[in-house]
Amino acid sequence: MAAKKASPDLVNSSFSFKSLKLKTKQQELLLRVSILGLVYVLAFIARLFSVLRYESMIHEFDPYFNYRTTLFLTEKGFYEFWNWFDSESWYPLGRIIGGTLYPGLMVTAALIYWTLRFLRFFVHIREVCVLTAPFFASNTTLVAYFFGKEIWDTGAGLVAAALIAICPGYISRSVAGSYDNEAVAIFALLLTFYLFVKAVKTGSLSWALGSAFGYFYMVSAWGGYVFIINLVPLYVLVLLITGRYSMRLYVAYNCMYILGMLLAMQIRFVGFQHVQSGEHMAAMGVFLLMQVFYFLDWVKHQLNDTKLFQTFLRITVTSAILVGGIALGVGTASGYISPWTGRFYSLLDPTYAKDHIPIIASVSEHQPTAWSSFMFDYHILLFLFPAGLYFCFKRLSDATIFIVMYGLTSLYFAGVMVRLILVATPAVCLISAIAVSATVKNLTSLLRTKQKVPQTGSTKGVGSSKSSSKVTLDQSQPFHKNGAIALLVGVFYLLSRYAIHCTWVTSEAYSSPSIVLAARGAHGNRIIFDDYREAYYWLRQNTPTDAKVMSWWDYGYQITAMGNRTVIVDNNTWNNTHIATVGRAMSSYEDEAYDIMRSLDVNYVLVVFGGVTGYSSDDINKFLWMVRIGGGVYPVIKEPDYLVNGEFRVDKGASPKMLNCLMYKLCYYRFGELVTEYGKPTGYDRARGVEIGNKDIKLEHLEEAYTTSNWIVRIYRVKPPTNRL
Amino acid sequence: MAPRTDSTPTGSAMSETSVESSIDPLFHLLRTIPFSFLRPPRLRLKLPSFTLPSPMTVFALILLTYFLVISGFIYDVIVEPPGIGSTQDPVTGTIRPVVFMSGRVNGQYIIEGLSSGFMFVMGGVGIIMLDLALDKNRAKSVKASYATAGVSSIVIGYVMSMLFIRIKIPGYLH
Repeated sequence: MAAKKASPDLVNSSFSFKSLKLKTKQQELLLRVSILGLVYVLAFIARLFSVLRYESMIHEFDPYFNYRTTLFLTEKGFYEFWNWFDSESWYPLGRIIGGTLYPGLMVTAALIYWTLRFLRFFVHIREVCVLTAPFFASNTTLVAYFFGKEIWDTGAGLVAAALIAICPGYISRSVAGSYDNEAVAIFALLLTFYLFVKAVKTGSLSWALGSAFGYFYMVSAWGGYVFIINLVPLYVLVLLITGRYSMRLYVAYNCMYILGMLLAMQIRFVGFQHVQSGEHMAAMGVFLLMQVFYFLDWVKHQLNDTKLFQTFLRITVTSAILVGGIALGVGTASGYISPWTGRFYSLLDPTYAKDHIPIIASVSEHQPTAWSSFMFDYHILLFLFPAGLYFCFKRLSDATIFIVMYGLTSLYFAGVMVRLILVATPAVCLISAIAVSATVKNLTSLLRTKQKVPQTGSTKGVGSSKSSSKVTLDQSQPFHKNGAIALLVGVFYLLSRYAIHCTWVTSEAYSSPSIVLAARGAHGNRIIFDDYREAYYWLRQNTPTDAKVMSWWDYGYQITAMGNRTVIVDNNTWNNTHIATVGRAMSSYEDEAYDIMRSLDVNYVLVVFGGVTGYSSDDINKFLWMVRIGGGVYPVIKEPDYLVNGEFRVDKGASPKMLNCLMYKLCYYRFGELVTEYGKPTGYDRARGVEIGNKDIKLEHLEEAYTTSNWIVRIYRVKPPTNRL
Repeated sequence: MAPRTDSTPTGSAMSETSVESSIDPLFHLLRTIPFSFLRPPRLRLKLPSFTLPSPMTVFALILLTYFLVISGFIYDVIVEPPGIGSTQDPVTGTIRPVVFMSGRVNGQYIIEGLSSGFMFVMGGVGIIMLDLALDKNRAKSVKASYATAGVSSIVIGYVMSMLFIRIKIPGYLH
């Protein structure tokens, strides 16, 4: 962008650098655009570690289901996808996929795929799926810039974009290959909040409309939309209490709530929950309260009499509260308004899941957060967050009140459940950006005022508040200037340490695909364990197409997506009794388990075993959860039977029920003959660090079908009942 | 001016306006039925008026809750770890205390959580003090002391946090 006044010079005289000199405003714009461009690219490439180290593949468990559904969508079209009944999982029940998923992610990836194909880039859908998350992370940085601009100023926006680009709390769920709902959901969340704050600030109907559509995108993408539909009413309530009711707020909230609710009902999985579920009632209550406020404002305007109005106010408020309370009571008592579901209730009462719902308690992501998890995911931002809150409280406005509330509520929920650190990350980054921007502004203003003092001769120097002689001012100025420079260097040092920390964390902790394991060999070389995919492809190629596979629910999605075989239970965990049946089968003796497997028509059993490699997330370590979940439905399974003095053991001192249950037999079959570590006896389990108790295992109703090269996945065939005895 | 919905209206809606101009139907009803023959005593009660606290008071409360959340207080309440861990010395057999639960990022003891949370809050307060030091309306010595306190808080908080995380995660930044 060359300066306009230089063009006649360019034409007439020879080229000189003076003609390229930009005005300050254009310089600033160029700087901003280039910074945002660099941040955009940075956010994308910081998430590509696993693609470069391994290959472009889908990670973890849930993304395989999303990949399978996206594949189906691109092959069969939207209407087949929307009405899909899947008979390949949860045998023999099946699953109504069209009505039990959030379609936002799949539709987004399919749209990107079709756009690329239209432009004649014939990429495979898997590549699109793998790279969807980094692409949307880059878009989130742009939204964070605009949001920061709304709340504070452009400097804070730029810092927020840079912080959120590399923050490990966000990277953990949006790395390339992590094709999960949160990849687009965080973008939708921040977009909705930005559009709503903009609507409240301007009072314009078009911004409110935009926020309603942003909310619709969020509802279609993730079940965490409940956070939006509760935070926004809470924010409106706080504004009403602090006396900030205005017409802008009225327009913004009404438009967003009504339109957003109607749009959200288009998603079959959500259905009519916005009027029926207890979790959504706060929004409706605040909506009615807003109408009361507007009505009172109008009456006050008509009456012109304060005392009369006070009376009227009291009557109206009492009756409104009474009517609202009665309606809520009737709705809850009659069962029309359903109570809070377990997943969200455990956020309000964190001890609930531990006592009542073992499936929720067993997921490792649902555990409460320790300080080191916070430090790991946030680093410097933990210092900057309280400082940013202070700056927000210094300059209270509608927008800063919103970001403070978002930050505090999301941080509380992040403390309850580790997984929700992701939701708190944008708020923490924004508030920290405010702290950085305000501090740097203060320090640089210290540097700049020095130039003005000799000219004006007034006491505008920051170093003193009283008028003093110029001599004292000149003496204090260099000290202040050096101090400010030193502090600025300190700020940049801290930010650079943040960048180093984020890169290290991304590289070491959050870039593992989980389906491919890596370890360091004896000479420091990297050894790759690709056993999972080996086993799934064996299933795909060596079993009949209508074979049914029984495994623990963790592996269900991967078996259907890669092995292309029917499973009994998978990660959706919608039917607790079915999972408990599988858990009972795994923890019973072989004869009882055989009866259960015959009743479920199982052909193959798959277990994961880490004794040879030392892999600690195997089925033996998950075994107690199988017992607990099975015991929750079938009281015949009792947890103390498998423990010795409250301790879970697999060596000679283990309980007899443990040494003879199906899971033990399947994991340790033929393991007693193996030497796993130099100097240790045969049958030494490297994951538990003990020699196993029962080495001589005989299987009566199952036979070994396949064991992968590192013994991580073991597949057994269920033999048909004997014909002649 | 927004109407104040936080004032708790009394159930009987006894309005303080003069009797003749009151439009409250309940008031008239109550005036006739019980209170034509009952005489209420003269009380000197006043409804408690609700004033909003100042922003900085709210901020102080929020800082306290932030400290609790960051120290892993919810983790302490649910998982109930011991206040401080212990290990047995293999040679002498004495019980030695262990402050940091090592080996995992998602576990902690109570005291290590509280001390780390304190370091974070100290760093944050240091930045706040730096901002207070740059405020124009104070005496120079006060501003200088704020500045030194702020810088030292930040430095100590950051150094201690780095030390803690290095103890907790042995392979940090390698």
